[in-house]
Amino acid sequence: MKKFRNGSDNIAGYVTILVKGTAPELFFQKCASEGIRVWDVKKNDKESCEGNIRLSDIKKMKTIRRKTIYKVSFIGRNGYPFLISRFFRKKPLVIGLIFSFLLFLLLSNIIWEVKITGVPKDIEEKIDKQLTSYGVHPGAWLFSLKTPTEIQQKLIEDIPELLWAGVDQKGTTFYLEGVEKIIVQEADPKQPRNLVASKKGVITKMYVSKGTPMVKVNDYVEPGDILVSGSLQNIEESNSEEKDEEEKQVVEHIAAEAEITANTWYEVSLTVPLEYNYEQLTGNVEKKFYLKTGNFQLPIWGFKEPPYEDIHREITENKLNFLKWELPVSIIETVLSEKQYIAEERTKEEAIEAGIEQAVIKLKQELGPDAKILSEKVLHETIERGKVKLSLYVSVEENIVKLAPINQGD
Amino acid sequence: MGKWQQRFRSLLTEQFSLPSDVILEMPRITIIGHIHFYIENHQGLATYSENELKLKVNKGYVQIKGSSFVLKMMLPKEILLEGTISEVKFLMN
Repeated sequence: MKKFRNGSDNIAGYVTILVKGTAPELFFQKCASEGIRVWDVKKNDKESCEGNIRLSDIKKMKTIRRKTIYKVSFIGRNGYPFLISRFFRKKPLVIGLIFSFLLFLLLSNIIWEVKITGVPKDIEEKIDKQLTSYGVHPGAWLFSLKTPTEIQQKLIEDIPELLWAGVDQKGTTFYLEGVEKIIVQEADPKQPRNLVASKKGVITKMYVSKGTPMVKVNDYVEPGDILVSGSLQNIEESNSEEKDEEEKQVVEHIAAEAEITANTWYEVSLTVPLEYNYEQLTGNVEKKFYLKTGNFQLPIWGFKEPPYEDIHREITENKLNFLKWELPVSIIETVLSEKQYIAEERTKEEAIEAGIEQAVIKLKQELGPDAKILSEKVLHETIERGKVKLSLYVSVEENIVKLAPINQGD
Repeated sequence: MGKWQQRFRSLLTEQFSLPSDVILEMPRITIIGHIHFYIENHQGLATYSENELKLKVNKGYVQIKGSSFVLKMMLPKEILLEGTISEVKFLMN
């Protein structure tokens, strides 16, 4: 025997019909022979009979009824379709449910808390202020924020006291962990060391605070030459009483300390094109917003393509959240800025000037802020296929001290 | 001719042990105790009430008597009856 009742009746919905007339059971028989599934047929009395049929069979049943003289009335509606429609008929409930869902959506996309840990109170306040200026504060929209890494970078840039900041977003809370820069105390008893030259050059200035100087101003040094020695030749006169036992040890090693600047030089070769292009933003900006699910993007703001010839697009995607889950929906903000391509030509002199400028900037980046560029000379220049080939000689004044620990060999 | 057909059919069932309900166009009735009555291959419902169900079959009628009958299911050629069954009768015409 098969199963006669199944859950699909409930899902599709079914109705209880009451048939009136003489021999009402014959109506059900007719229905059954037409292929309508009929169940739970009960005879109430001689002239009336009730039974269940599927919601989808009602049409068929009505065409059968038209050919007969029975009176059919619906006395029960069962199954999910009716449940659902009954539910939707209660408008306030439905509206309330939709509102509560929207409220949830709204609230789970708002920052509720910004937690700052790991830093003292005053810096915490500073960070808090900075974060507020970035738009990170309780009550701000989550999708209008930059990514945690961006915030992290900005924070470190803007607050010099911060060594490191970890920004983490967990649901509606922003966790910020900071590490304060601590001025490191001079390392305890320093290792004995010499100071050696890191580059070749001519010494221009010397200031030795500890150690024996081995070179003089205007000396030429090669990399590796000892500038200041950490070995002191002690003469055992003043403290002979104390060092009686260690009389043999004449040489004392200390950590040499000095500031030595030298004139160094660099040869830089580079090519500068005579014709050059660059892009420039004109300042005209338009914004567009899209709602994105999967590969589909629905524009919600800014429908027109701006009348710019060349466009620089900046796209930021922000995920929407529901409670702690990320929805597969995200808001995309596209910033369209008008840009211009500019092509220019310059003379050989201008190109050389630009080349020198470039070289100087590059050198400064490499050498650090302490280096001072004294002069730059063009050693050689040729024009080849619209490009100027330059060979530059740059002299720089910089600190050439390198630490070299002394191996005492125990 | 009808008689010949009949004899041929019963021969088929006897010789080739084919199911008799299919060959002879007879109803297959399954009764579970006195509570369920399941009939396949009937040819229509004649009367139905709380105490009686009469179904047309190949040659005549099947009459079921009892009390508190409910037709649990009706399909084109099948009926499942639930209730308290007291007798099943074959009425030949």
